Amino acid sequence: MTDPTSDSARIAAEPLLSLNAITKRFGSFTALSDVSLDLRPGEIHCILGENGAGKSTLCNLIFGVHRPDGGSMRYRGAPFQPSGPADSLAQGIAMVHQHFSLVGDMSVVDNVLLGRARGVLDRKACAAQLDRLAGEYGLPLDPLARIEDLSVGERQRVEIVKCLIRDPSLFVLDEPTAVLLPDEIAALLDVCRRVAASGRAVVLVTHKLAEIKQVADRVTVLRAGRVVATSDNPAAEIDALVRAMIQGSVEALDESTASMLGFEPVRHVDHGPAAVQPKAEVLQIDGLTVTDHQGVTRLDNFTLTVDRGEIVGVAGVEGNGQSELTAVLAGMMAPTQGRIYLGDQDLTGRSPREITAAGVGIVPEDRHAVGCVTGMSLAENIYLNRLDEFTRFGFLRRAALERDAAAMMQRFDVRARGPGAPFSSLSGGNQQKAVLAREITLPNLACLVAAQPTRGLDVGAVAAVYGHIRAACSRGVAILLVSSELDELLTVADRIVVLYRGQLMGACAADPSRREVIGAMMAGQPL
Amino acid sequence: MSWELFAVFLGSSIRLATPLLLAGIGEMVSERAGVLNMSIEGMMLTSAFAAAVGAWATGDPLIGLLIGIIAVQPVALLQAVLSNTLRANQIVSGIGINILVLGATTLAYREIFGARSRAEIPGLAKIKPPLLGDIPVIGSAVFEQVWLLYAGIALIVATALVLRYTSVGLAIHAAGAEPKAVDKSGLSVARIRYGCVLFAGLMASLSGAFLSIGDIHTFTEGMTRGAGYLAIASVIFGKWRIGGTVFACLLFGAATALQFQLPALGINVPNALLIMLPYLLALLAVGGLVGRQMAPAALGEPYRR
Amino acid sequence: MTAVNHGRGTGTWPKLTLRPALLVPVAAVGFAALVGLALIAAIGVPVSGAIAAFVDGTFGSLYVIAASINRSTAFALVGFGFVLANRASLTNVGGEGQIAVGGIAATAVALYGHVAALPLGLSFILPMLAAVAAGALWGALAAVLKVKSGTNEVISTLLLSFIGVWLLYWCVQSPALLRKPMTSSATLPESLEIPDETKLPLLTGDYSFPLHVGLPLTLVIAVVVAVLLSKTVLGFRLRAVGLNPVAAHRAGISYARTVVFALATAGALGGLAGALMLLGEQYTLKDGFSSGYGFDGLVAGLLSRGSIPGVIAASLLFGFMRSGGINMEMAAAVPTALVVVIQGLIVITLAGAALVIERWERS
Repeated sequence: MTDPTSDSARIAAEPLLSLNAITKRFGSFTALSDVSLDLRPGEIHCILGENGAGKSTLCNLIFGVHRPDGGSMRYRGAPFQPSGPADSLAQGIAMVHQHFSLVGDMSVVDNVLLGRARGVLDRKACAAQLDRLAGEYGLPLDPLARIEDLSVGERQRVEIVKCLIRDPSLFVLDEPTAVLLPDEIAALLDVCRRVAASGRAVVLVTHKLAEIKQVADRVTVLRAGRVVATSDNPAAEIDALVRAMIQGSVEALDESTASMLGFEPVRHVDHGPAAVQPKAEVLQIDGLTVTDHQGVTRLDNFTLTVDRGEIVGVAGVEGNGQSELTAVLAGMMAPTQGRIYLGDQDLTGRSPREITAAGVGIVPEDRHAVGCVTGMSLAENIYLNRLDEFTRFGFLRRAALERDAAAMMQRFDVRARGPGAPFSSLSGGNQQKAVLAREITLPNLACLVAAQPTRGLDVGAVAAVYGHIRAACSRGVAILLVSSELDELLTVADRIVVLYRGQLMGACAADPSRREVIGAMMAGQPL
Repeated sequence: MSWELFAVFLGSSIRLATPLLLAGIGEMVSERAGVLNMSIEGMMLTSAFAAAVGAWATGDPLIGLLIGIIAVQPVALLQAVLSNTLRANQIVSGIGINILVLGATTLAYREIFGARSRAEIPGLAKIKPPLLGDIPVIGSAVFEQVWLLYAGIALIVATALVLRYTSVGLAIHAAGAEPKAVDKSGLSVARIRYGCVLFAGLMASLSGAFLSIGDIHTFTEGMTRGAGYLAIASVIFGKWRIGGTVFACLLFGAATALQFQLPALGINVPNALLIMLPYLLALLAVGGLVGRQMAPAALGEPYRR
Repeated sequence: MTAVNHGRGTGTWPKLTLRPALLVPVAAVGFAALVGLALIAAIGVPVSGAIAAFVDGTFGSLYVIAASINRSTAFALVGFGFVLANRASLTNVGGEGQIAVGGIAATAVALYGHVAALPLGLSFILPMLAAVAAGALWGALAAVLKVKSGTNEVISTLLLSFIGVWLLYWCVQSPALLRKPMTSSATLPESLEIPDETKLPLLTGDYSFPLHVGLPLTLVIAVVVAVLLSKTVLGFRLRAVGLNPVAAHRAGISYARTVVFALATAGALGGLAGALMLLGEQYTLKDGFSSGYGFDGLVAGLLSRGSIPGVIAASLLFGFMRSGGINMEMAAAVPTALVVVIQGLIVITLAGAALVIERWERS
C-alpha cells in the first residue's frame, strides 16, 4: 500500500482526460447514459461494475473503437473526438483489452511491431527495447517466442508491453486479471503502480474488490450504464461501493453469490448432507489423456470420480486442460488414453448423441460456439438435442415444440419475447439459463458437467444458475463444475480438484480456509 | 524421352504455368490478408480481352499490356468494395463478377472483332536471358520465354521479400489471421485488404495479358477456361506460402503440358483426359490435404468492429 | 415499409408491407435490365427493334413458350438444389458438372440399357434415375472431400464441374464410349439420338406446344423440397448444421451425414436437370451439352434468397430471357452474351445489397 499523503502529491489536479455526460446507444439499448468522470495523471482509477454495466463500452469510447452518441470528451484540455484506435494511439492512449488481440502464429516481436513499424522491420532493435521494458516494469518475455506457445499470463504481458512501448500518457486495462494466477495478478498490480508512479494515468476496469483495495486511488462505480457512486478513498468505503454496484439486484443475491463477489467474507455453504444417499460413483474418469494434433499433451492421466449428489469443482487457471476435459466428456473430442464410465456404462469415445442418451448433461464453456445455435429460435435451442420427441413421420411438430418450450421458459425463468424469439435476441444470462434448462431436464439425467457456467452473467442470473445446479444435486445428480473462479468453486462445490498443465495437482475439501493451498496448486505446487 | 523433348516439355510446362503463377501469387497475397477472390477468373479474362484489343488497335503489345492492367483495376476495385465495404459474400460476389465479365467480354468481342474473327494480334516479345539461355540443348527450349514471365518472377521475389521483411507483410499476415489486432494497433484492416485485392487484380491482369498477347496472340471467348480457379486451387495446395504456391502452379502447368507432349511421344491417351488432368490433379491436391488449419483464420470473413 | 390504409368501413385491412427480401431482387433485376437496354443502345441497335425481337422470342409462339418453360425446369431443379444445400451453408457451384454427368448417365441408359421396350414409362424413368444417381455421386464426392479433409465445397464443386464437362467431351469423342458409330470421317462427335420411347412424353401430345412431363415433375419436386426445408426434421438439421455445425454436433446432429445429404441431393437434382435436358429437349449428347444451365440455375438459386417460389420465378425469368436473347441475336443482331451480362449484374447487385437487406429487415 502506498502512503495516502504521497498519493495526493503524485496525482496531478488537472485532469488528463475528462468525460462529460457521455451517452452511448446500440440500437434501442442504452449502454452508457450521462457518464462523467475525470482521469488524472499519476492515479490508478478503477472502474467497478457488474457484467453488462457498461465498463467495456466506456473503455472502447476512450479508445476510439466506438463513438459517443451524446456528451463530450476533453483530453489535455482540448476537445477529443477519436475517430478510431489510430487517433487515440497517436494521442498517447493505450489499452489492454479484455479479449487479447494478438496474432497467434506470429512472434512476440512481430506482434509488438504490428502497427508501429514502417518499412523494413528492425526486429533486433525492437527485441532490445523489449528487454529494456522488461527490466523497467518486471515483464520478462522471450521476444522470439510465438504467441501460440505462450501461457495466458505471458500473452497478457505481451499486450501490456505492446502498450508501454508506445510510452502512453493514459493506460487503460479492461478486466485484465480475469484470467491470471494469484501471483500474476500481484505482478500486474505492481506494474500498474509503477506505471502510475511514472506520472501516467491508469484506468483499471474490474469487478474484483481485492484489487481495488490494493491499488485504487479513486473509484467510479457503474451500474446499468450510469455512474452510481464515486470514491476518493476506496479502501475505506468498499462496502458502500459494492452496494452501489449491485443495488437493484441485491434481493436476488443468495449468501454464496454475495460472498463470491466479496460482499461478505466467503463462507462455505453446506447444502445438506449428500451422504444420506448411499455412496455411489456415478461419473468415473480413469487415466484420461488427451494429446492434440501437434503432439502436446493437454490432459495427462486425469483420474476422478464424482458421486451421486456430489458437486466436484475443477479449479485451475484457464488453458490447463479444462477445455479438453469438458470436450472429451461431451463427446466432442476423442481421448488418446483412458476411459470414462457412467455407472458401469463405458462412455469412452461415444458420440455426443450417445452421451446425451446415457443421461449426461453438458453446459459447455463456450456457449456461443458449442451450446446453442444463435440463428435459431429459443424453442428450437431448448430442444436442440431432443428433436425426436417432437418428430412424427419425419415432420417436426412445431406447435408442440413451442408449447413445451414456453413451459420451460416459465420453469427456468428464461425471459424472452416468446418461445419463437431468436436466440440471439436474448441476454447472456437468459441464453445460459436456456442452455442449462435443456441439459438439466434430460429425462434420465445422472451427471451434469458445467464449465464456466456463470461467466459473463449478472448477479441475478448467477444466483439462478447456482440454484438449479444445487437442485439437481439434491435430486442425486453427480455434478462436475469446471471454473476458473476459485470463489465460485469454494461456495458451490463439495470438493475441489486442481488442474495444472493437464495434471491433477491435488484435491481438498471446498473450504475457504484452504484458499492459499488451492492457489498454490493452481500455480503448479503440489499439495 | 530424348533430352530435346524433355527440354521442350519443361519449357512448355513453365509457359503454361506462367498465368497460374502470376494470378496465384496475387491471390495468395489477397487470401493472406483475408479476402478470397473467386473473381480472379474474371479479372484474368478482362485483361486477356483488354490487352488483346489494345494491342490489336494500337499495334503495340506493350500498350496492350498497359490497357489490360488498367482495365482490371475497376473490376478488382468492385470486388474490394463488395468484400470489404459492403461485406458481401465473397464467393457469390466473385462468381457474379465472373459471369458479368464473361458476358461483357463476349459481347464486346463480337462487336469489335465480329467480322474479323481470329485476327492475329501483335504479341509480347520473347527473350532469352544471358547465360541460362546459352546452355546447349535446353537453353532455348526452356528459357526462351515471353519477357512477362521474367518480370513476373521478379515481382514474385519482391512479393516474398515484402511479406517477410517489411511492416506491410506483417500487416497483411495479421489482417488475415487476426484482423482485430490490426484494427487495435491503429492500422486500417479495410485499407490493407483493399490494397491486397488491387494487387491481386494487378497480378491477374498480367496473367490474363500473358494468355492473350503473350502466349497465343489472339483472344477467344471465355479463353481463361477456369485457369483462375486453378490459381485458387494452387494457393490452397501451396498452403498459402509462396514456395508451395509456385510448386503447385508448376505442377498444374506440367499437367497441362502433357496434353501436347504425350501425343508427340506417340503415347495414346484420350485428349479429353489430358485436358481434364490439371483439374483432376487440382481436385486431388486440394482434397488430399488434411491441413485445414493452414488457411488464414479470417479468410472470407468481412471485418466488422 | 409501406402501409396502405383504405380507410373504408370498420374492417381492418391487412397491412401491405414491402418486404426487402422481395423488393431487392426485383430491383436488382430491373437495374440489370436497364443496363442491358443501355448496352443495346450503345451497340447501335435500335432499342425498340431489340425489344420487339426479345418479346417475339419469348412469347411469339406456343412453341417458344413451351421451350422456355422446359428450359426453366432445368434451371429450377439446379436452383432447388442450390437452395437446399445453402440451407446448410453449403455453396454448390457444381451445377454444370452435375448436369453433364446426369446427361451422360441418361444417354448411356437410354441408348444401351435396353429400356426402350419397358412398360409404365420405365423407358424414360430409368434413364432419369440413372442421371439422378450420377448427379448425386458427383455432389457426394464434394461432400466427402469436405467432411474428410475440410476441402471448401466451392472449389471442389467447381473443379468437379470442369471434370464433368470434360468427361462428357470424352464420352462423345470416343467411339468406345457414347460416340455414335463412325461411318465416315465426317461423323460428328456426338451420341446417337435416343430411342423415341425414352423421350419424355409431351403433356399435350402436340409438337407445336412441346411441354413435357418435366414440368409437373419439377412442380412436385418444388413442393417436396419446400416442405422438406420448412416442416421436417431434415430441414431443421440442415439449418442447424448451416448455422452452427459444432453446436449441432453436440446436440447429436451428424455433420457428415447432413453435408453428404445436402450436397448429394443438390447433385441429384442437377443430374435430373441433365436428364430432362437430354430426354426432353436435346435427344443427342454432344459437346457443350450443359450450355451454362448450371450457372443459370445457380443464379436462380441466389436470386431466390432461399425461397422455393423465388427459384421458380427466377427460373422462369431466365428461361424466357434466354429465348428472347436467342431471338434478339437472330432478328436484331444483339449477341446473346447480353443476357449473361444481365445475369452477372443481378448476382453482383444482390451480393452487394445483402448488408442493406439485413439492416432493413432488422429495423
